[in-house]
Amino acid sequence: MMAEDPVCGMSVNEQTTLKTMYKGKVYYFCSAACKSAFQKDPETYIREGPKGMPH
Amino acid sequence: MAIELSLRLKKEEQLQVIGMHCATCATTVRKAITSISGVEDAEVNLASGQARVVLTSGKLKDIVKSIRKAGYDVATGTVTFFIDLRPEEADNIRTRLEEMEGVISASVSVTGFVRIDYNPFDTSSTTLEEELKRMGYRITRNEEVKQFHNNKELRILLVKLGLATVFTIFTFIFRDLPIAALLSLPVITYSASGFHKGAIRALRNHSANMDTLVSSSSLILWFFSVYYLLLNHLSPSPSYFFDASSMLVTFILLGRSLESYLKSRTSNEISAMLVPRALKLSDGAEIVVNSADLKVGDIVLVRTGERIPADGVVEEGEGEVDESLLTGESKPVKKNVGQPVLAGSLLVGGRLKVYVTRPSDRAYIAQVVRTVREAQAARLPIQEFVDKVASIFVPVVMTASLLTFLTWYFILHSGFLLSLLTAVSVLAAACPCALGLATPMAVLSTINRAARKGIVLRRGEVLQELSQVKTIVFDKTGTLTQGLLSVVNVKELIPGSLELAAAAEEGSIHPVARALSTLRKSSHKISDFQEFPGEGVYAKIDGHEVVVGKRAFVQANSEGELPSEGSVFFAVDGKAAGSVTLEDKLRPDAPETLDFLRQMGLRIVVATGDNTPIHLDGVQVVTGLTPEEKVEIVKKLRSEGKVAFVGDGVNDAPAMAEANVGIAISSGTEIAKGAGDVVIPDRLSSLVELFHMSRMALGKIRQNLAWAFGYNIVLLPLAAGLLYPNLWLPPQYSALAMSMSSVIVSIWSIL
Repeated sequence: MMAEDPVCGMSVNEQTTLKTMYKGKVYYFCSAACKSAFQKDPETYIREGPKGMPH
Repeated sequence: MAIELSLRLKKEEQLQVIGMHCATCATTVRKAITSISGVEDAEVNLASGQARVVLTSGKLKDIVKSIRKAGYDVATGTVTFFIDLRPEEADNIRTRLEEMEGVISASVSVTGFVRIDYNPFDTSSTTLEEELKRMGYRITRNEEVKQFHNNKELRILLVKLGLATVFTIFTFIFRDLPIAALLSLPVITYSASGFHKGAIRALRNHSANMDTLVSSSSLILWFFSVYYLLLNHLSPSPSYFFDASSMLVTFILLGRSLESYLKSRTSNEISAMLVPRALKLSDGAEIVVNSADLKVGDIVLVRTGERIPADGVVEEGEGEVDESLLTGESKPVKKNVGQPVLAGSLLVGGRLKVYVTRPSDRAYIAQVVRTVREAQAARLPIQEFVDKVASIFVPVVMTASLLTFLTWYFILHSGFLLSLLTAVSVLAAACPCALGLATPMAVLSTINRAARKGIVLRRGEVLQELSQVKTIVFDKTGTLTQGLLSVVNVKELIPGSLELAAAAEEGSIHPVARALSTLRKSSHKISDFQEFPGEGVYAKIDGHEVVVGKRAFVQANSEGELPSEGSVFFAVDGKAAGSVTLEDKLRPDAPETLDFLRQMGLRIVVATGDNTPIHLDGVQVVTGLTPEEKVEIVKKLRSEGKVAFVGDGVNDAPAMAEANVGIAISSGTEIAKGAGDVVIPDRLSSLVELFHMSRMALGKIRQNLAWAFGYNIVLLPLAAGLLYPNLWLPPQYSALAMSMSSVIVSIWSIL
């Protein structure tokens, strides 16, 4: 199963351990950088969609 | 296959990259490859995982290293075998191997263990073996054969030495008579044959080694004497040097036999831990079998004083078992029916029937032997400098020898005889092998010494890094503490939620989860389960959505106020439900170990994932970290000096990989699984031993090098006749001094 990385928009495998849960929904990430960017500000990414790789 | 492009030096390499799962990965890998100088272009295909690299001068080794550093891996083939070599050749062979097509990296130990990582697209293990054979080396694939081979090598040396001694004595008695030529003949031909062969092999490979020096100095003396004999019409004369020539060979053989004995003793020390034979019970009869042939399910009988031949479980009987070889713990452990026993441990008292649970090649001790053997081929950074010296050493000595001759003959007009003798003496006195042995012997014996205390070094290189470490970062749970958490306080906001949280934790192996799940009272229907590493778990229990984990994680997935105190929090159906406070006991040896390490001048940091603070004197504690944050901390500390990370090797793998030295506390059964450069037994005090040993090894290496250099600096001028005639070493005594020099280095390293 594939899912979309909410930060960079890439398609990622749901088997990854890089994932988190926010408000009962699971999000998957392509990298630790994307995950920590999401965790810092989940609302913005959920509202505005992927913004590309964090720097 | 590498295709040569228009320019001769340009070549194309293909690599299989592992772990790319998105487009950024491909870009990252491409960047990692092109950042290496000498790489002209790289193309990375995400779908096939293949990278095509166009190289001008860049090394495959650096590219692979760079890809691995970026967090990906490259599929490589590995081949290991033994070859016969002179210790000072090891680096030369390594360099030659690394220049071969498709070789990523090679390591060669002084004991002849060769490990080559290669790109399977370009070459194969057979091709590499062929190449080495073409260079003139004998290849042995199996360890057992090597042991046998080692002993055989020593036996042959001893036969040669015995024969040389007898004939040298007679040559010496009749040294002025023409018969000396015949008496020395067996010495110079048969006994010295190994030196001549080695010299020819070196010549064929366009290099020079120890054998070149021995072979040429003994032959020069011998042929000169023959020439003089003919010139003298076979009449007696005191100017024959048949005795000097054969004494030279004998002394070097003596040194080499001692060296070979010490070397084989050191390299067999570890495989001696393996138990070769086992007493198997089959239909009530006891039969002796090879331990290698034991299968899972076999029953073996172990009696007092015997070592356990395979990993297994006690089926019948009881006894006291000394596991010091595996854990470093010298106090025997009592084993009853149903308890696990490990191969290599000694039954001090009692009688056991053991049910074999692992084939012997996968036994813990077999893993240790394999790992240690590979680590022995380590190349410490300190060695770089030595190798540079060693590679020019022999040519320099030969030039010095020639200059000695020219000086005595043409400038000092001392006659042909003395000029020749001083020149030969210089050849015989020079000792590149003490230089070659200095580092590897110290590393070898330290790795072995560590292994006997249950400390397994996976990479010998860490010995040098350990001695430079400034900061040690400890994981807390299971590392500084016993990892046995107990519940001390519960706050339940929604009745019945604790039971659900306990049930949700059932599916996780995390220590916190294990402690919490003990609170579960009845069984539940779990329809969904997901674990979020470093955060917590989600599970659907009896139709309820349950979230358990860290405060931030649970808060992000629930509404309402979580209790202010607690180590683990939980929520049910999106509502804050309660918390549990857990406590973990420090290991009894933790405070003492930390004190010791601090006294050694090390800075200590504790990085832990949970929120319960601990108080330790002079220790910086950082709590509530995710695995990624631990990596960040290590990264930051690395900018201030080398960092070692101590953890359990499973949850902390990324931080351990980021540290200069990763130290894993072993669970006692598996080495290969976890991360870490060093695996220590389940006692913190072995850390102190480890640091102590690394410092001692580095000290030994420095002393060995000082000895080896100092020796050459003092003896070469003496041999060249700088203090002639007051103090001068004739060739045979130069040879004696030189042999003893490598023996001293070997012995000093083992002590």
